[in-house]
Amino acid sequence: MTNLSKIPIYYSSILIILTATFVEAKPFESTYEPLPSENILISNANIYDGEGNEFLSTDLLIQDRKIVAIGEDLPINNTFKVIDATGKWITPGIIDIHSHMGVYPAPGVSTSSDGNEATSPVTADVWAEHSIWVQDPQYALALKGGITAFHILPGSANLIGGRGVTVKNIQRNTIDSMKFPDAPHSLKMACGENPKRVYGNRQQAPSTRMGNAAGYRKAWIEAEAYLSRLDEYEAKSEEAKEIGYKPQRNLEQDTLAGVLRGEILVHNHCYRAEEMATMINIANEFNYKITAFHHGVEAYKIADLLAENGICGALWADWWGFKHEAYDMVQANIAILDQALNGKGCAIVHSDDAIGIQHLNQEASKALAAGLRAGFNITKARAMNWITSNPAKAAGIYDQTGSLKVGKNADVVIWSKNPFSVYALVEKVFIDGATAYDRESNFEPASDFDVGIISPNKNRIEE
Amino acid sequence: MIYSRNIALIIFMLSTAVVNSESVLIQDITILDGKNNEPFVGNVLIDDNKISQVSTSSLRGDLVINGTGKILTPGIISTDTEIGIVEIGALSVTRDDSSNLYQIGFSIYDAFNPNSVLIPWNRSNGITSTLTLPQNTNSPIGGLGSFFVLDSSLEISGSKDVVMIGRVGGSGSKSRAETFAIIEDLLEFASSIDSSDMKTYKDIAEIIDGSPIAETMDLHPRDLKALHKLVNDELPLIIKANRASDLLKLIKLKEEYDLNLIIMGAQEAGLVASRIAESKIPLIINPINNIPESFDELGANIELAGKLEDLGITLMFNAPRDHNYHLIRQGAGVAVANGMSYAGALKALTLSPVEVFKLGNRGQIAPGKIADLIIWDADPLEPSSMPEKVFINGEDIDLTSRMSRLTERYTKNKEKPNGYRN
Repeated sequence: MTNLSKIPIYYSSILIILTATFVEAKPFESTYEPLPSENILISNANIYDGEGNEFLSTDLLIQDRKIVAIGEDLPINNTFKVIDATGKWITPGIIDIHSHMGVYPAPGVSTSSDGNEATSPVTADVWAEHSIWVQDPQYALALKGGITAFHILPGSANLIGGRGVTVKNIQRNTIDSMKFPDAPHSLKMACGENPKRVYGNRQQAPSTRMGNAAGYRKAWIEAEAYLSRLDEYEAKSEEAKEIGYKPQRNLEQDTLAGVLRGEILVHNHCYRAEEMATMINIANEFNYKITAFHHGVEAYKIADLLAENGICGALWADWWGFKHEAYDMVQANIAILDQALNGKGCAIVHSDDAIGIQHLNQEASKALAAGLRAGFNITKARAMNWITSNPAKAAGIYDQTGSLKVGKNADVVIWSKNPFSVYALVEKVFIDGATAYDRESNFEPASDFDVGIISPNKNRIEE
Repeated sequence: MIYSRNIALIIFMLSTAVVNSESVLIQDITILDGKNNEPFVGNVLIDDNKISQVSTSSLRGDLVINGTGKILTPGIISTDTEIGIVEIGALSVTRDDSSNLYQIGFSIYDAFNPNSVLIPWNRSNGITSTLTLPQNTNSPIGGLGSFFVLDSSLEISGSKDVVMIGRVGGSGSKSRAETFAIIEDLLEFASSIDSSDMKTYKDIAEIIDGSPIAETMDLHPRDLKALHKLVNDELPLIIKANRASDLLKLIKLKEEYDLNLIIMGAQEAGLVASRIAESKIPLIINPINNIPESFDELGANIELAGKLEDLGITLMFNAPRDHNYHLIRQGAGVAVANGMSYAGALKALTLSPVEVFKLGNRGQIAPGKIADLIIWDADPLEPSSMPEKVFINGEDIDLTSRMSRLTERYTKNKEKPNGYRN
């Protein structure tokens, strides 16, 4: 089998198509349809392109839902709508790699608290997408913060918590119609205090960090066996297949085997440095790749190790102290990882929070400022990658979005001011070239939950 | 030997005395005074622990700090924290914010830890003092918060039991109508007691025995004393409440019992804003929180702060509890981005808590005020800005924190094993 772990993750969605031969049908396929769109010229804008570049007073051309050009004096005809963005800033659509919207929706009530299947430490069989409440009013709030796509994960109660899903920030009434087309599935794993607390309190394994490690390894040993039975069957001739039994499908092992085959991306909740290093050892033992460590409050202590292994850190700018494994916070964490091995680090600013997701630009701004104070030389244009192209890579959707590259989806945000300022407001959001939010004309989605819930003839936050 | 050591000590004491008496002049700095005034470039003189002069004309000082291009504000006062009483949220052995026995009279004052790592961290983010509040007790009103100056002195500087807290709203265990009834009964009970009957511990115990509500709630003399202070001494009462109907009921309670009431949370205040304005009840809100997190908070709105300010409502800010108190400044910036005035947002962080909770002679840059001051490298409401200097009680505070030490450990001297770095 080809070792997929060395191949950049953004090719993985293509590889899925090539390698996923044993799965007969793909259930729960995306049925996403974009909103109606126009061809648009955004003129005279200042641009952070999500590839580390800054362009001042430049035009951006959107045609047939794609970015077709960035430059000056771009040719258009009279079918193009022209938006004068003089003095404004443009970025790619912001992407949050760690969200629980939909699975922990608002209001946070027990009846829709669906993010942790905390009934067994390994629940690789559950899929976050099957918990999503499509009427969560938080999506629209995130949209006004420029979020065009986000990755929804199960919680961290379990060692292996189940599959995550990447969605477009579009209010729809089925889950499949929100799903990001061709985005790879992900697997949520969790280190540290949470699993050992949840299960230790019930007098069952794991109750220690060594119990955690044993739990992952046992799961991977079973997955290896399952995968070899599958491979053995796949290798048989058509005649032999007809007389032999096909190994019975197992939902849990489907997911784990998907990781071992490099089709499913591992997103690993992990705070402490030595635990991240242990998880890297386990990944090497079973020959799978960790795409990103999430939260990673101590990522700065092993930044070079993460960079060497091509593992992203999805981190907060400055959250800390709520538990012991989050005690060693430094504000330069994101910058230190970004600069590891002379800038080879993959740093991501994540939210894990329905308020934070609305202000990821401010979180990036704090992280950048801390990096500059720590003596690093990082541009704003590069820091913009932390909330655009880097999370897109970690979600496996970089071939489609995450930067303003010609040919990519026109997921674009227009900001009133430089987005590294707290005073910058999102003015317009385009998803696949379609206007999803427009501050000027009060064009914004409302979930069914918002309708008439305070006053019968108004939406929830309508004037 | 002993003699010479004493001489050394005396010399040391003299030298520190000299340092303390040196005046500090912060020169040519943009001053945001905390009081709603327009920013201006001027000079501020610190003498001892006080601001002695603020002027646009030149002043003389022993030690001169050039503030050109920088911004001076009063120190930020955080109005709703657990600073000093919780070290690590999920570690109960480091939590001193709740009581098993006392309810209304539970005070956290004696638990305050001036050596908490949260103190240097918050100081380095511009927070110079805090109103530290306990967790809610079983009683809907009760638990006493104290005011602490974050100077790290082991001799606590602050004021004990300056505020009582409370909470009403959806709870999952009982009707909010019961909550209001308990509050009314407690207030009725406390109002009916004559101070002269409360002289001895035995007196108080007898009063409790004779009251159905006090007995049912298992109140202790400590609780009754606090309740008595609430109804007789204008002790500020912060009630956490969000739903519009709850806010209206609280306005009635304030009027009926003449309470010094402050409402915290107030997510639906926008729905009853003019009534709140008439009531003159100050609010503590988290301006960045627009999540309808419960059925009490459906009206949550990012534009709340600006709308309330327009009606003249006194505002203060909080940030999520559990260590993220420094985000109060980001919240203020978001309030301004969404319609609040800049001066109003700064006042909410500085002078308003002083005026509402009577926290002494601070919170403003004016002659005679205590010199709790921050020199910022840039706009203080930009979360990317940080203090360059912090003065508490006129003293130039070292801004080293555990975080700055760890940052240094992993960015400098990397050739050494990490255990042998700074």
